[in-house]
Amino acid sequence: MIAMRRYTLILVSLFTFSCVRAQVYGTNNGSISFSSDAPLELIRASSNEMKGRVDMSKKIFAFSIRIGSFNGFNSPLQKEHFNENYMESVQFPNASFSGRIIEDIDLTKDGSYTVRAKGNLTIHGVTQERIIKSDLVVKDGKVSLRSNFTVLLSEHNILIPKVVHEKLASEIKVEVKAELSAS
Amino acid sequence: MRTAIRESILFFFLIFLAAATHAQQPGYKYFKLEKDNKAVKINTLFKTSQGYIYTGTDNGVYRFDGERYTRINFDNPDYTDTATALFEDRGKRIWVGFRSGRIAHIINKRLVYYNPEEGTPKKKITAFLQDRENNIWFASNGEGIYYIKDRHIYLVNEENGLSDPNISSMLLTDNGDVLAGSDQGINLCSLRNGNVVVSVIGPRNGLPDYIVTSISPAGNNTYWIGLQDKGFCLYNHNNKTITVPPASQNWKYGQVNSLLQSHDMLWIGTNDQGLFKYEWQNRVLDTLAGAGAGLTIQDLLRDKQGNIWMASSQHGLVRTNGGVLKLVPIPGSPVFEHVHAILSAGNGDTWLNDYNNDVIRVYLRDGKYQAQKIRIPALNEKTDITSLYQDPNGNIWVGSMGKGLFILNPATNQQRPFHENPVFRDASILSISGKDDTLYVSSLEGSMSIGISPENTDISKTYRFFNYDNTSTGTNYIYNIFKDSRGRTWFATDGNGLTLLQQGSFSYFTKKDNLKDDHIYSITEDKQGHIWFSTASAGIYRYDGKKFTNYGVAEGLSDLNISVLKTDKAGNIIIVHKLGLDILNPVTGDVSYLNANQGISKINAEDLGAVTQDRFGRVMVSTTDGILTFSSPANSLQKPTAVIESVQLFLDDIADDRPAVFSHDENNFTFNYTGLYYSDPEQVYYEYKLEGLDSSWVITRDRSKNFPKLEPGTYTFRIRASLNRNFRNADEAAYSFVIKKAFYRQAWFIILCAALVTALLYWYIKSREAEVKKLERLRQEKVQFQFEVLRNQVNPHFLFNSFNTLISTIEDDPKMAVEYVEQLSDFFRNIVNYRDKEIISLKEETELLGIYYFLQQKRHGNNIELRNHLTEQQKSQYFIPPLTLQLLVENAIKHNAISKETRLVIELRITDDEYLQVANNINMRMSKQEGAGMGLQNIVNRYTLLTSKRVQINNDGKNFIVSLPLLKN
Repeated sequence: MIAMRRYTLILVSLFTFSCVRAQVYGTNNGSISFSSDAPLELIRASSNEMKGRVDMSKKIFAFSIRIGSFNGFNSPLQKEHFNENYMESVQFPNASFSGRIIEDIDLTKDGSYTVRAKGNLTIHGVTQERIIKSDLVVKDGKVSLRSNFTVLLSEHNILIPKVVHEKLASEIKVEVKAELSAS
Repeated sequence: MRTAIRESILFFFLIFLAAATHAQQPGYKYFKLEKDNKAVKINTLFKTSQGYIYTGTDNGVYRFDGERYTRINFDNPDYTDTATALFEDRGKRIWVGFRSGRIAHIINKRLVYYNPEEGTPKKKITAFLQDRENNIWFASNGEGIYYIKDRHIYLVNEENGLSDPNISSMLLTDNGDVLAGSDQGINLCSLRNGNVVVSVIGPRNGLPDYIVTSISPAGNNTYWIGLQDKGFCLYNHNNKTITVPPASQNWKYGQVNSLLQSHDMLWIGTNDQGLFKYEWQNRVLDTLAGAGAGLTIQDLLRDKQGNIWMASSQHGLVRTNGGVLKLVPIPGSPVFEHVHAILSAGNGDTWLNDYNNDVIRVYLRDGKYQAQKIRIPALNEKTDITSLYQDPNGNIWVGSMGKGLFILNPATNQQRPFHENPVFRDASILSISGKDDTLYVSSLEGSMSIGISPENTDISKTYRFFNYDNTSTGTNYIYNIFKDSRGRTWFATDGNGLTLLQQGSFSYFTKKDNLKDDHIYSITEDKQGHIWFSTASAGIYRYDGKKFTNYGVAEGLSDLNISVLKTDKAGNIIIVHKLGLDILNPVTGDVSYLNANQGISKINAEDLGAVTQDRFGRVMVSTTDGILTFSSPANSLQKPTAVIESVQLFLDDIADDRPAVFSHDENNFTFNYTGLYYSDPEQVYYEYKLEGLDSSWVITRDRSKNFPKLEPGTYTFRIRASLNRNFRNADEAAYSFVIKKAFYRQAWFIILCAALVTALLYWYIKSREAEVKKLERLRQEKVQFQFEVLRNQVNPHFLFNSFNTLISTIEDDPKMAVEYVEQLSDFFRNIVNYRDKEIISLKEETELLGIYYFLQQKRHGNNIELRNHLTEQQKSQYFIPPLTLQLLVENAIKHNAISKETRLVIELRITDDEYLQVANNINMRMSKQEGAGMGLQNIVNRYTLLTSKRVQINNDGKNFIVSLPLLKN
């Protein structure tokens, strides 16, 4: 819980004072997409509204996405179910991941890095400690980020009604792509 | 009494010699690991459930079987990585951690990197463990501790309260917590409700040093902690306290890299001063100087046989016998060839004789071994001391060759000869033995027992003795007297077998009782109460009260030249011979060996007094290198473990997960196996059997067996490993497999074939039937044809015409008439000749046709013409059914009006596609001849039976052409 509060603090401070520090990179239109590959149905959706800040010298970061911003479902009804039945986006409007990069490397220099981040992944109001691996390319004051990870619905108290069991995978593959620039 | 006092001589040479506390450690054996002539550094050791020792090195992972290293390659052979941690989980999966931070598994004898979604660390992996919930934990030096739970990997670092991320070692405590040594102390981690709780034990809690280098179990939830600078200490996890042993309080041997507790010893591997041994119960630190000094020991491991293995940076693996053999420190470096008698006293002192037959007492004072020399004036270098014995009062009895017995009191330094018994006054003593308050002395002169009463503590007091009657014992030449647990007294005689004194009566066991040898040297008793004795040349015997069982080379003894038998504390029979010790388990009959390979050198097997047992029951022997103490290793397996290393199909390894079912042509199997026995791998024998092929076991020393061309069937390959040719209790490994029959030998195929054959047979019979019918029809056709031909020829028209022609010719030309009649008769004769034949040559047919044409020409004159285009060669080459051409020509004549205006021209020719064409121009008659068409149809039918080619009939209104397929014979 202490760790969680600390990350919340990081999140708040990063968003608030982001412009002050030169080593802080940010984005407001990162792309995040997910796919659920169930036996009966493949569902894909994506959003370009991911916000994120990374402090390259401190190696702390925070990312957030509005659940309602996801589009691209197989039908409007599916989107409605996604928001109302599964994600309960009114109650839990955002998903977030914040924490610290594990690797002891200097991210202020240009180069490509594969880094792992230990942080708290909050989806559907449930926070899970996770390690997520990302590829970072730092070049000319820009950072491009790419990351793939899996979310288990059960870990975030997202219940799948029995009837749609064959239509919704129990693990969701998530892909994140973002271009961060100094702010 | 007084005389006794007067006779006791106080005569002392007290020579004190100091010896260093470090004892020599016999039996260091080096197993170098080199690559390109450079030593490969070994970082970590692990003993797998299969029995192998895996080593993590700067050149990857090697499997070690006691003799050889086998490299475990990556699935991509170009990879190489420095292995720093090894582990086997409960599912027998092997985990390898690398300096790069990566992790690999061994799958099908290949290293395969583990690539979780979360990635793997970038810092050196130092340890693995599996907790009670079967989660795998791994520690890194720089990133903290990771654990794999369910589907994810989690990190425990400073955010969770870890002291620092530099973890050097990690283990699971008896109560399921995780202990991790780091640069800031000991971190105690426990997983509660999915959260890791960490607390730190550091210098504030009494830890002598910040940097923890290793953690090793010490039993009862306590743990030895190796430190970077301050030696080692003991951590008790029950009450979270630290104890620093006295031996570590002024530690000056540098960094401790590894700790290993084995029984009552703690082995300490240091970074640059080699191996140390701490007897923690006696609080004695043995620096073992000499053997391993200067060695960088990265890790320690105890094998199944109780040997201690060191992973060194310089010399590969180094084996010691793990304290099984220990040299007794003797100051003053005596020449051990002269030692004939040794004794370990109740207080731990060691007694022996020297070259001069002085008695030497070696004792420990102030941490130093001291030697005291005691002179017995009556003895010199010619009067050997043959035996030393300590009686219950603590006095030392000395037996000599030719000068009888002497008694020494170590407390008062008094001594005197034993003069009470005149028989023994200048006797040559062979042995002194005893039980409780009775001493037994055997000599060349006879044997006696001496009662030891408490008042005999004062050696000046007179002893009571009893001489055994030589006729009762069988001989005066007795090597050894042994009193067993049931109060029976046994005499080992030279040449008279074994004599038993029981309840006052003697009985004798000699060659008549099937003993192969009557020269008995030594007697002992096992824990089951059986009597064991050694003979001069026939090995040893066990007597269970009913019968004697002989143990020789076939039963596993390595040498029959046996001097002494002893029963050690563990209950094993220790058989002493010149080349080493055979250790026989009296219950199972298993024999294991200690010999030069384990660091034992020439044993004094000539003198029965040169073997003794100490107060702990450990057997001591005198060797050319000194006096060795042998302690049976606790919790050890003194026999090889049979392992099938690999099974090969046509010399290619079969994958571990492949089902053992093979097709009929997968029939060449090679089994590579080994018997893991780390004390002495060369000693191992194998016995194999392929069930399904062999009915008996085959003994071999090969480690591979090939079976080519196995027939389909179910097989089990069994391999047993033993230290000798006795496989009764040998460990066994097996591989079962099935070779399936080829499809053509399987039931479904055979049934299918049978059905097919039946169908073919049925079809054949049917077609044969048809053939017979066809032949029948052919015969009928032929008969009908003949009938047709005959009918035609006896047709009144033909005869009438012929006779008319003849009549007119007779008148005009009688000569010609004669010829005509001749031709006519020829014609009829030919018809009769050919009618039975199936086919005739074309030549014969054309000749017949020629006669017929002659006859017709006489009637029709030039109005008829036969143009024969056939060559002689064609005529003899081809065949034709008889009378075919004649019939066709006859038909032509019959059906056409022949006159001067309407000439009939018949042509015979052979086409390129081997048809004989009979063609004539058409001038249809007004009236039809009866029987028309019958003959032609008959020809067509006959041909269908003779050839597949068809008779073609062409009528274009102008020409009538019949094409006959030509037949070849």
